[in-house]
Amino acid sequence: MTEALLPSQRINLERATVLVLDDNGASLDILSQVVAGFGVKQMHRAESVVDAQSLIRTKTFDLVISDVQMPVTDGIEFIEWLRREGGETNRYVPVILVTGHTRTTQIFKLRDAGSNYVVAKPITPKVLLERIFWVAREDRQFIECETYIGPDRRFKHEGPPPGTDGRRKDDLPAEVGEAQTPNMSDDEIANMMRPAKVQI
Amino acid sequence: MTVRKFQPPNRLAKMIKERGGILAKDAIAAAEAGVESLRESSLANLDATIAEMERRFGKGAEGRDAESFEALYILSSRIIDVSIFVSDVGIDRAAVSLCGLVDGFAESGAWRWDAVDVHLNALRLLRSIGAQLPAEQREAMLAGLHQVSRHRPDEG
Repeated sequence: MTEALLPSQRINLERATVLVLDDNGASLDILSQVVAGFGVKQMHRAESVVDAQSLIRTKTFDLVISDVQMPVTDGIEFIEWLRREGGETNRYVPVILVTGHTRTTQIFKLRDAGSNYVVAKPITPKVLLERIFWVAREDRQFIECETYIGPDRRFKHEGPPPGTDGRRKDDLPAEVGEAQTPNMSDDEIANMMRPAKVQI
Repeated sequence: MTVRKFQPPNRLAKMIKERGGILAKDAIAAAEAGVESLRESSLANLDATIAEMERRFGKGAEGRDAESFEALYILSSRIIDVSIFVSDVGIDRAAVSLCGLVDGFAESGAWRWDAVDVHLNALRLLRSIGAQLPAEQREAMLAGLHQVSRHRPDEG
């Protein structure tokens, strides 16, 4: 897990190259102002997926922030394309999707698009910065298979769903089972908790 | 099916903790100041979108039956896009409710104009006197909208 962003935390996005994509110019303006306020110097704006794809082909990005609902090609299809065909320098870039509403038919598609995070519109600077900080510090592994490319969709490791054995080799059953080693003694436990002097 | 699990390089992770930079609270303040410069244009955009909704989908709009669900969905999404300046009065939530409503129409293939009318009335009301309404009245109105939006007549 990553720690929360504190107001006193120092962040440096001066060298980050960021792509912001939104088909609604007014919305793109708001998003751009927010990102510029965070200290980003290299920001590229795109109002269509076609424009964004051209930028992806010619530049290396450190962060992509994209709207979801767009005509012709939407943000979900764009991220799916990015993860498969975005080139080695951009395929694994952290992606934050922003959306005001998710259509019922798109809920699973959105989950499976391969983004790192989805943020609800209207975006606020505080929430967006927290999410940028989060995606910069997260340690989720990347999954690449026929049907999905993107960060592991499991945010928490709480074992497989109840009543199932799980799909992964490293899934552990929900039941703890019998102890395999003797219980620790009270002294052993107390020693673990005892405050100790440390040399710094 | 072959599944590859790996840790890709995260350039952003290295950059964000480099020396220099700014405090998070200053970054947020600078971003808020930048957004504030867009207040007038965003509100003008919001009003124009509500006016377009009224014109094409309002009670007296001729030919509203011939309009597409997608057109109203897009207009409603655009309200959410620029509603950062009016979220305190719940315009964003009313627009989200309208998006949900229209999404349901797209599934069922039929309009429920009374439900659209009540959403457009609410948007107009919240925009004009939303800030003067007592918070509990606004909340009750928004809760009512969500109830209308979630209602599926064919499900009883």
